[in-house]
Amino acid sequence: MVLLKQASLILWKDLLLELRRRESVLTMFFFGTLLLFVFHFAFDVPPQTIAELTPALLWLAFLFTGTLGLAQLFGLEKENRCLDALLLAQVDRGALFVGKASFNFLLMALVEIVVMPLFWILFNLRSWTHMPALFGIVFLGTLGFCVLGTLMSATTMTARARELILPLVLFPLMIPLILATIRCMEAILRTGQLGDAAAWLRLLIGFDVIFLTVGVLIFDWVVEA
Amino acid sequence: MRLIVRDLSKAYGLSWALKDLTFDLTAGDLIALLGSNGAGKTTVLKLLAGLVHATSGKIVFDGKPGLRGESGERSIVGFLTPGEHLYDNLTARENLKFFTALYDRNCSASEIDTALSDVGLARRANEYVAALSSGMKCRLSIAKWKLLDPVLMLLDEPYGVLDASGVELLENFLCDHCAKGRIVIIASHHLERVLAISSRAIVLNQGKMISDQRRQQSWESFKTAVNDCLRMDPNGGIDKQREGKNGRQGPAPSLLV
Repeated sequence: MVLLKQASLILWKDLLLELRRRESVLTMFFFGTLLLFVFHFAFDVPPQTIAELTPALLWLAFLFTGTLGLAQLFGLEKENRCLDALLLAQVDRGALFVGKASFNFLLMALVEIVVMPLFWILFNLRSWTHMPALFGIVFLGTLGFCVLGTLMSATTMTARARELILPLVLFPLMIPLILATIRCMEAILRTGQLGDAAAWLRLLIGFDVIFLTVGVLIFDWVVEA
Repeated sequence: MRLIVRDLSKAYGLSWALKDLTFDLTAGDLIALLGSNGAGKTTVLKLLAGLVHATSGKIVFDGKPGLRGESGERSIVGFLTPGEHLYDNLTARENLKFFTALYDRNCSASEIDTALSDVGLARRANEYVAALSSGMKCRLSIAKWKLLDPVLMLLDEPYGVLDASGVELLENFLCDHCAKGRIVIIASHHLERVLAISSRAIVLNQGKMISDQRRQQSWESFKTAVNDCLRMDPNGGIDKQREGKNGRQGPAPSLLV
């Protein structure tokens, strides 16, 4: 309970700061939209291959957009050495991790809620009934991305070229998550059901649970190293 | 309450920022941490605050090893560095609200208003910290630590940004804090000011403690003793290295009272 209370305090503070600065969410939103238009004009996707190609394009857009958000995740804490103030306080490091990961998840979810219908329209996807299930898969993928991303963002926080190093460290570790999300999205777009992709869904959920647990347990070591 | 520091050392890369620092502090101590730039004062404060890891040595507080570890142990340390540890895009009131809640000292709105009023920020309570001057930010930090009431209070060069009333406010806060049986350590170059309220002065030179003076006699003799230490090199003689390099003796003139 203490962990959740402290995490919600950090989340409240980050949301308030983002509401005033509007730097991360606007950058992410415009970049995500821009990528969709680029993909739309670059790829002439035939109707019979839509289910195979479009999930990868959509998830790629979300990954790049999310990386932008992650790069700025600890930027605010570095101003005025506020991270030191958090570390000095009686705050559980796991709570700091959960607070930061939830903040990034909320930002990405906001962008996804706006970008996904746009994607539907641009790529002429007719099966609107599949959208809620697709949102479910995307949110599970986003959760995994945010927990691992927060961990890596904290690890590379003091690196000199952190914006360059972060994707290099993050994406190789993200491969199981990327594959699982794309396979699940593909199955839903094709048939409206998971079918054979149920195993990928289990991998996706397992990835989320494992890295959320690992993050809470080792964030103390990561942030103070 | 007792803080024991034994053989505390910190190396950054190949150079030692601090070497074998040893001292004991008890409740009510107000310590001046003195020395020229690069002497290791801020490193000592950061080590005590648990913000950096010691290369070797130990810190024991009330019989427990270190000030880190369990989250409960961290809450006892306050660290005041002017203009830092505050969020620019939160208002003065929001900063106090956030930090008091984070330390699980859920202060009421009236307590926060009183703290702001005590430091002369009642009218600026709803302004963003970014809009406050450096002195006002320092006053806000004082209000923050007044509310949080840490057992060990560390201050890194707090005088530079404060006006006369701000200095008085700070010194009253520190003296009241010590009177409550807390420990205060101030790293500063403003010798006249800091020695006036200190009960003890620890002088560092190139990461080593060269003097530990207690205020047992008059303020004048205390000041003279500390000044004498600042003029000396770690070996007890005149700083030959400085003399050789710069053609003058002793530490920088700004350090002397």
